[in-house]
Amino acid sequence: MKKLLNIILISALITASIQNAHSQSLTSKTHQLREVTVIADRPMKEIGVQKTTFDSLALKENIALSMADILTFRSSVFVKSYGRATLSTVAFRGTSPSHTQVTWNGMKINNPMLGMTDFSMIPSYFIDNASLFHGTSSVNETGGGLGGLVKLGTQPDVAKGFNAQYVQGIGSFNTFDEFARATYGDKHWHISTRAVYSSSPNDYKYTNHDKKINIYDDDNNIIGQYSPKERNRSGSFKDLHILQEVYYNNLKGDRFGLNAWFLNSDRELPTLTTDYGDERKFENRQRETTFRSVASWDHTGENWKTGVKGGYVHTWMAYDYKREITSGNWATMTRSRSKINTFYGQMDGEYNPSEHWFFSSSISAHQHFVRSEDKNIILQNGDKAIIGYDKGRIELSGSASVKWQPIKRFGMSVVIRQEMCGTKWAPIIPAFFMDGVISPKGNIMLKASVSRNYRFPTLNDLYFLPGGNPDLKNEKGYTYDCGISFDTGKSDAFTIGGSATWFDSYIDNWIIWLPTPKGFFSPRNVKEVHAYGIEVKSDLSLKFAKEWLLEMDGSYSWTPSINEGEKISPADRSVGKQLPYVPRHSASVNGRVSWRSWAFQYKWTFYSKRYTMSSNDNTLTGKLPVYYMNNISIEKGLSLKVANIQLKLAVNNLFNEDYVSVLSRPMPGTNFEFFIGITPKF
Amino acid sequence: MITTRRIVFVFLIALSLASCMKIEYGKQEDFSVSGGGLFITNEGNFQYGNATLSYYNPESKEVQNEVFFRSNGMKLGDVAQSMTMYDGKGWVVVNNSHVIFAIDPETFKEVGRIVNLTSPRYIHFVSPEKAYVTQLWDNRIFIVNPKTFEITGHIQIPDMTMESGSTEQMVQYGKYVFCNCWSYQNRILKIDSTTDEVVDELIVGIQPTSLALDKYSKLWTLTDGGYEGSPYGYEAPSLYCIDAESFTVEKQFRFKLGDSPVEIQLNGTRDTLYWIKGDIWKMGVNANRIPVRPFIESRGTIYYGLTTDPVNNDVYIADAIDYQQQGKIYRYNSSGVLVDEFYVGVTPGAFCWKRDE
Repeated sequence: MKKLLNIILISALITASIQNAHSQSLTSKTHQLREVTVIADRPMKEIGVQKTTFDSLALKENIALSMADILTFRSSVFVKSYGRATLSTVAFRGTSPSHTQVTWNGMKINNPMLGMTDFSMIPSYFIDNASLFHGTSSVNETGGGLGGLVKLGTQPDVAKGFNAQYVQGIGSFNTFDEFARATYGDKHWHISTRAVYSSSPNDYKYTNHDKKINIYDDDNNIIGQYSPKERNRSGSFKDLHILQEVYYNNLKGDRFGLNAWFLNSDRELPTLTTDYGDERKFENRQRETTFRSVASWDHTGENWKTGVKGGYVHTWMAYDYKREITSGNWATMTRSRSKINTFYGQMDGEYNPSEHWFFSSSISAHQHFVRSEDKNIILQNGDKAIIGYDKGRIELSGSASVKWQPIKRFGMSVVIRQEMCGTKWAPIIPAFFMDGVISPKGNIMLKASVSRNYRFPTLNDLYFLPGGNPDLKNEKGYTYDCGISFDTGKSDAFTIGGSATWFDSYIDNWIIWLPTPKGFFSPRNVKEVHAYGIEVKSDLSLKFAKEWLLEMDGSYSWTPSINEGEKISPADRSVGKQLPYVPRHSASVNGRVSWRSWAFQYKWTFYSKRYTMSSNDNTLTGKLPVYYMNNISIEKGLSLKVANIQLKLAVNNLFNEDYVSVLSRPMPGTNFEFFIGITPKF
Repeated sequence: MITTRRIVFVFLIALSLASCMKIEYGKQEDFSVSGGGLFITNEGNFQYGNATLSYYNPESKEVQNEVFFRSNGMKLGDVAQSMTMYDGKGWVVVNNSHVIFAIDPETFKEVGRIVNLTSPRYIHFVSPEKAYVTQLWDNRIFIVNPKTFEITGHIQIPDMTMESGSTEQMVQYGKYVFCNCWSYQNRILKIDSTTDEVVDELIVGIQPTSLALDKYSKLWTLTDGGYEGSPYGYEAPSLYCIDAESFTVEKQFRFKLGDSPVEIQLNGTRDTLYWIKGDIWKMGVNANRIPVRPFIESRGTIYYGLTTDPVNNDVYIADAIDYQQQGKIYRYNSSGVLVDEFYVGVTPGAFCWKRDE
């Protein structure tokens, strides 16, 4: 019955899933519907663009959430999480995490060593604007996004005068989350300081089905076994983030900005469910200190805009694996250190000579300096040495685009992008977009796009010792997509919108790290992948009674991602099969009901079975079962004389499911967190 | 409006029911195999806990996969490195799970376990009450009691740090146990099994990968030569013949720079060597030069493990394919004719013979 309901629900989602939720502050006694997008007035910059935008309510749901949590429950991208407060990566449309480009206030923040971004390290309260650019659409912003782009940013504008906000969260497993923000705004200055600190021993209980504990008799014979109730071992975390922003507007079209984001993270790496070591005798810890800063100048003219940005990123990462030899005497088994310094510069220009034409261009440079120290060894002559590499690389990217809208109902766009990495130039990246309004009634619109794209190997791909392969080729891909969308509503009664997109992409020279006969891993260009499918999104806002507001959003994706390369050997059974860990189906639904100052939210997400082997073998260890997750929250806003108070209780994993997202990585059962937010009235 | 509320209510109820995940855990199967057979340890993927154990009957040519999981209702662990038969038990060393499982080789059921090891690689039995366990990332060889499944002590390896610690395969000649040190190492250790101390060591080439003892009491080891850019050095790999009595190198056969020879093995009568170097190579222990042609050529396969049947000298080769799918075992007779082939688990790396008793 439940399975049937699941099928019904998923089917319903295909036709009625939803995108953006918009709502009003709880302290406001009025509930307003979001505005319907009148697509005849759509920005020319977005001609043909497939984009998912998250509103501030989604991003500011609660302070304990990272961007990984937001994307899990509010988008169709696949979030692969290794556990609570551990590595979480994001992949679009059946591609890999390194095919997802990520920018923050315009600057790329993908780790240049690894290529991917850990979204568990991005608190959602630090992000004011977040958008997903699916497939081809990413070429408008950057290259290398064979899957897509996650564009993150902060909002320059703050409320006038002094304002402050403090939120305290207290949750299961001794989890504490604190958030504070102070802002000042006048006609020239907008200043904001915010900080988040999260900590937890993170030692949640779970039943370890991968293990059994033996019961022995006096002669060491096993007379019984049981699956133990264990705690998540070695999973504690302490994360601090501070974000300082200053903007100055001279009211003559110039705005100067400075954003500086400091993070310090100290996380243990949880042990596997199959680990029989005594966690008190092992330490497995990852630490990171990162400072990101962007200075910007934007000038807005009557029909043109220009901007210059400069930025700097410093990252220090440490990984230590230690073993206690004798009581209190710890020996290091692995001591990895890496330092990344990145200098960034970008210039943009936009020119809008008439309502029919729009021109834009951009050029950016990222200069990386990386020092990676992976292992300390003793040489044959007794001297000490460090295994690692010390390399620099410049990445240049330039683009020019022309957008033409001969009539309100039809637009076309061409983007030409050129990229260079080190001393190697990628072939020109072209992208073509078009859209057209079929019917102004319901704002029904067709969109289509096509592009070629490339991704350069990462610094680890090229230089990591041992195994780095300087002969790697660029990954290259072609993507086509087309879709239909609508958006309509009735004033003060309801809004409803939705879209369905078909996409088709080919990626050649896919880079994969494989073991070598010498015992280490090395990357190779191996696979030719054909990823295709459908993405469906929709949203609904409904005032169904006086002072009641229902908002729903959801998404569904069908993403076959098929290995279409040559067989590695005659025995290879991976050709024609779904890539490991990529679900064919994924969906999410958010529902929120508000009444006066109360609100109730329900979040649901679903991933279909994922294979763990490239051959999709249906063995006991060859698959991860279907994954459903249900979270709820209830909140109440209070407006006092001195402050607005917001109370919120969140319940995660409502049905206490035993589940894993990745093999041998336990996830927590039902857990709670209570939040109190205080916004003083100065 | 009432209808709308009902729709909302029904939708929320449906949502709440669309939740429960049906995961079946702990199912156990009963096995009872008799006669001789071959265990294959499949490493799985590092950090994914998907190592498995396969069992092959050479007579019937039947293979059973995931036998540990199916028999015990629990996973074998993360990176099954090796397996050794002793005292009627199969001892499976699971490297990144810090454990060695002892199993009944006929039912595959666990009969005991040794836990809290650092990063175990191989186990060698000195006596019914004493075995040595080599380690990666540790400068100690652990001493365990197979009767009580307890760690009873360790052998400190001189001039080795924890971070670059690596002790590997062991063979015994008289009271001495010889052990090759592999990762960022270049030596063979000689351990007195009565005192549990390293009494001598012999420098060979860079990174000796494996070790075997032939019928003439000669030790054989293959070095892999390191890798290009390694501060430890990079050289042409070699095959070494070492006299166990005098503990001196008697012969050295050099390969080309960049070659990757691994997995030195002996046949049942311990007079013929086999190893992997892209292809499968075979050489008599008395030979004075390496053969010009391989015994079995690679067919685009990634040979990862090797063994020979101690009774009929059939050669079994493990193909890891792409390391992300079930690997394949090829069985050849002693003339190099393909006899059988079958799929096992992910990354099949080591074999263990169960004799017909």
